[in-house]
Amino acid sequence: MTIDTQPSDADLIARSLAEPGLFTAVFDRHSAGILRYVYARLGPELADDVTAETFLAAFGCRGRYDGAWPDARPWLYGIAVRQIRRHRRVEARRLRLLRSALADGPAEDHSDRVVERVTAARLGPRLAAVVAALPRQDRELLLLVAWAELSYAEAATALGTTASAVKARLHRVRVRMRRELGGSNPINEENDDE
Amino acid sequence: MSEINALRDMRPALPQAELEAMRTTARERFVAGTRARRARRWRRLPVLAGGLTAAVAATGAAALVLTGPGAVPGQHDRGGHTRTVVTAAWTVRQDADGTVTIYLRQYTDPAGLQQTLQADGINAIVHPGLYVPWPLIVGGIPLPPLQLDHPVCYYAATDLAPQAVRRVVVTLIHQGLPARFIINPDAMPHGSALFLDFLAGRPRGPKNGNTGVLAWPPVVLNNDTVPTCGGPQS
Repeated sequence: MTIDTQPSDADLIARSLAEPGLFTAVFDRHSAGILRYVYARLGPELADDVTAETFLAAFGCRGRYDGAWPDARPWLYGIAVRQIRRHRRVEARRLRLLRSALADGPAEDHSDRVVERVTAARLGPRLAAVVAALPRQDRELLLLVAWAELSYAEAATALGTTASAVKARLHRVRVRMRRELGGSNPINEENDDE
Repeated sequence: MSEINALRDMRPALPQAELEAMRTTARERFVAGTRARRARRWRRLPVLAGGLTAAVAATGAAALVLTGPGAVPGQHDRGGHTRTVVTAAWTVRQDADGTVTIYLRQYTDPAGLQQTLQADGINAIVHPGLYVPWPLIVGGIPLPPLQLDHPVCYYAATDLAPQAVRRVVVTLIHQGLPARFIINPDAMPHGSALFLDFLAGRPRGPKNGNTGVLAWPPVVLNNDTVPTCGGPQS
């Protein structure tokens, strides 16, 4: 592994101001993650389009990138979130489809977490409905943490807020989700806060 | 386990093959987009504004021809591409294994697409089919506007190559626009042709001028004669 000797995203972005072609390396590093996230939220029809638009938007504003952040992931996810906002109806339809698919029952699963997965699958349709009903900002935060697997600090950077604000908002969202799942959520309440 | 983990388990999975196909498309659009932006910047400089950069930046009708693995900035022979032609409407990529991938985003510039495919060794017929302009009149009776989504021609392609041949020649990756087809020219029988009904004039939709419906995949004909037009169906 030569990870330590590779330039950081911040280095690449700074150098790409003089050599624009270098920004392609940022695409190659992060496009798979962004694409998976966009696909999860919008589906196959728009995933490649919105991913390309995300990186084009990033390319267009790379001169304003804060070089104090070596990892560009939170910045890129923040841009992706803004691009996804332009397709609100597609996302709503996607969540309806997800809800229907989950209602068909859990897929066969032999992993160690099979009990948890079956529980999640049983809750799936309701959970999808709750997510769809969340205010946009709450949904964006929740899915950045759950589907993009950003830390609270990274999600805060992506959304232009603070980690403490993210933590407080996520707590409120989870309380609301538990309430709307009927108050007898079979998911135990193990704290996964950071 | 928390709600977060439950949500993680709900995340729709993206198969690796589909991920790679989408990533390739996204990359090509990104690279083409950055080139167009840079071309626009150059065009704004009056002294350096050249005809070529202006043409590329203007409508996307012009094609960018990238040859060799180093043609894409920052790319180091990732896909073994030998030639890629990029327009706003479609991309044709010839790979080192001899296959040709068509990324079809919009139904525009059929002649350019045909020429590009032929340059890649495919005996291609890209036929500019047309949608019926509103009002559609069938048997002297105008149909209501909702009926306008009809192609002028329904081709009776009776001289199709056998199904087994078609399967090895055309691989359908994604049929919704943007569509992706992989063509294997070496598998085309002698004298055969690839026929792509190119539905130009499709009523404009909200996104990129497309309606977002299914694309017509190319078919393999036993000869290079354009199939007979069957006329609109009512």
